[in-house]
Amino acid sequence: MKNKIVLFLFVAFATLLTQRAYSQVVVIANPGVKASAISKAELNDVFTGTASSLKDGSHVTPVLLKAGAVQSAFLGEFIGKSDTAFRAGWRSLVFSGQGAMPKAFDSEAALVEYVAVTPGAIGYVSKSTAHEKVKTLAIR
Amino acid sequence: MKKFLILPIMLAFGMASASAQSLEDLNLQIHGYATQGFLYTTQNNILTTKSSDGSPSWSEAVVNVSTQPIPKLRVAVQARYFLLGNLGNAITLDWASADYKASDRFGVRIGKVKTPSSLFNETQDIDPSYIWSLMPQGIYPIVSRNSLLAHYGGVVYGTLPIGQKLGKLEYRGWGGERVIESADGYLLADAEKGIVAPNGVSGTTYGAALRWKTPLRGLMVGAAAAENNAKNGSIRDTRTNGLTYTGTMVRTGFFSPDFFAQYEKDRIMVAAEFARKPYSEVLTLTSGPSPIPSIPTTTTDQRLWYAMASYRVTDKFSAGMYHSQYFNRAAAFGPGRFSKDWALSCRYDFNQFFYAKAEQHFIDGTAVGYDANLNPSGTPGVSKLKPDTRLTILKIGVSF
Repeated sequence: MKNKIVLFLFVAFATLLTQRAYSQVVVIANPGVKASAISKAELNDVFTGTASSLKDGSHVTPVLLKAGAVQSAFLGEFIGKSDTAFRAGWRSLVFSGQGAMPKAFDSEAALVEYVAVTPGAIGYVSKSTAHEKVKTLAIR
Repeated sequence: MKKFLILPIMLAFGMASASAQSLEDLNLQIHGYATQGFLYTTQNNILTTKSSDGSPSWSEAVVNVSTQPIPKLRVAVQARYFLLGNLGNAITLDWASADYKASDRFGVRIGKVKTPSSLFNETQDIDPSYIWSLMPQGIYPIVSRNSLLAHYGGVVYGTLPIGQKLGKLEYRGWGGERVIESADGYLLADAEKGIVAPNGVSGTTYGAALRWKTPLRGLMVGAAAAENNAKNGSIRDTRTNGLTYTGTMVRTGFFSPDFFAQYEKDRIMVAAEFARKPYSEVLTLTSGPSPIPSIPTTTTDQRLWYAMASYRVTDKFSAGMYHSQYFNRAAAFGPGRFSKDWALSCRYDFNQFFYAKAEQHFIDGTAVGYDANLNPSGTPGVSKLKPDTRLTILKIGVSF
C-alpha cells in the first residue's frame, strides 16, 4: 500500500513537472517577420521543412536547440515527434537534396541572439529566457 | 547532358565560395552517414551475396556538402560508396544540384537530381531516415536502385493551397536523361546470360506526381506517372557457343502509374502503394559470325504493391511490419512469376547519431532479388532456386 502511494505521488509530480515544461515554451521570431501569430499547423510545416513562408508571405527560416528539456517540450507540443524522428525527417530532406539542416544552438541565449539579427529566423525558448530583442509569436 | 548540368553547378559552388566573406555567410554544411549490414538466408542466396553462409557484404557511406549563399538558392553535392554482394564497391556521384525555391508554390532543381516518382523513391536509399533495413523490394529493388534513383535533368516542385477545407496539393514534375552504368543491377539478369552492355545504357525519363495533403492532418494521398526508356545501349552477346556478337538494346518503358497513401500521426505511420511497371526489351544483333541470330522481344508487366505500418514504442525504439507483393504477369507460371514478402522490423536509436536495426523476412516466390551466379543451375543465366527464403538482416548505422 505504501509503495502504491509513493508511486502515485511520483507519477502526479512527474505529470505536473511535464505540464509546467510545455506551458513554458514560447515561439520567437526576428522583429522583421510581419506575423504576430502563427497556427500550430504552420509551425509544424516550417519546422519540418514543408514550408518556408507563413500565410502572410513572410519568408522564415527555422532554428533549433540541439538538445534539452525545451527542445523536447517544443517537439512534443508542436511537432508531435521524438527528437530522433524529427531529425530523421530533416535527414531525409538533406540526403535527398530537398533541404538543408536548420541551424542548431547549444544555448537558448545563443539562439535568441541569432534570431534577433537574422531576417526571417524563427525559433523557440523557454519563457524564463530573456528574449526582449525578438518578437514573440502567439499560437493560434 | 551530364557535363552541361554538372559544370554550372560546380561553377555556382565556386562563385559562392569566392564571394562569401566566411563559411558562415555560405551556410556551408557537411553531413554524412555510414551503415554496415549483415544478411543471412535459409534456402537461397539473395541480393548477389553468399547470404546462405551469412554475409557482411553490405556497406554504404555517404558524404553530403551543401551551401546556401542566399535564402532561395541551395547548391549541394552528395557522393556515395556502396557495396552489396557483387554490386557496387565504388564511389559514385549520388546527385549534384542547384535548387532555386522562389516560394513554397514554385521551385526548380537542376543537375543530377533525385527522381520524385512514387512514395519513397527520393528517400529509399537514405537508411537513417526510416525503420526498415530493406524497403519493399518489388517497388524499391536495391540491386537495381541506381536505375531509378536519380536522373540528369530537372525537377519542378511546389505546394499549392486549395482551400482551408481541402488541404494542400504538392506537385512535382521531372524530365531528363537516365544513365545506367554497365555493372548496375538493372542489367544483371542480362549480364548473367552473357549479354553485356559495356558502356551502360541511357534514355529519357519524364513524369509527374501529385500529393494531396488532406484536411485530416497527417494523411496524404498521391499518384505518379512516369515513362522510363533505355534506348542508347550497345551490347555484346556471347551466349552462342562462345561466339561474340554486337548489337543494340532498347528497353521501352510504357506508361507506369503509381498510387500511394500515407498516414503519420504521433507514434504511428501507415502507408500503402500500388504500381505497375510494364516494359519491353528488344535486343538486336547487328554484327558477328553468320548467321546472326535473332532474339525475340521480351515483355515484362510488373504489378507491385505493399502495405506497411510502424509504431514508435519509446523515444528510442520503433517496430514495424510490411507485406509486399510482386507479380510479373508476362512471366511463366511458377515461383519465378511472383514474390510475396512479410517483413518484421525494429530499430533502436542509441542517440541522435548511432542506431541499429534488425529485420526478418519471410519470402515466397523467387521473382525478386536472386541471381544465377550465386544460385547456379548449370545453364548460364538460369537460377536453381528453392521456392521460399527466410532472410535475417542486422544493421548498424551512424549519421551526422
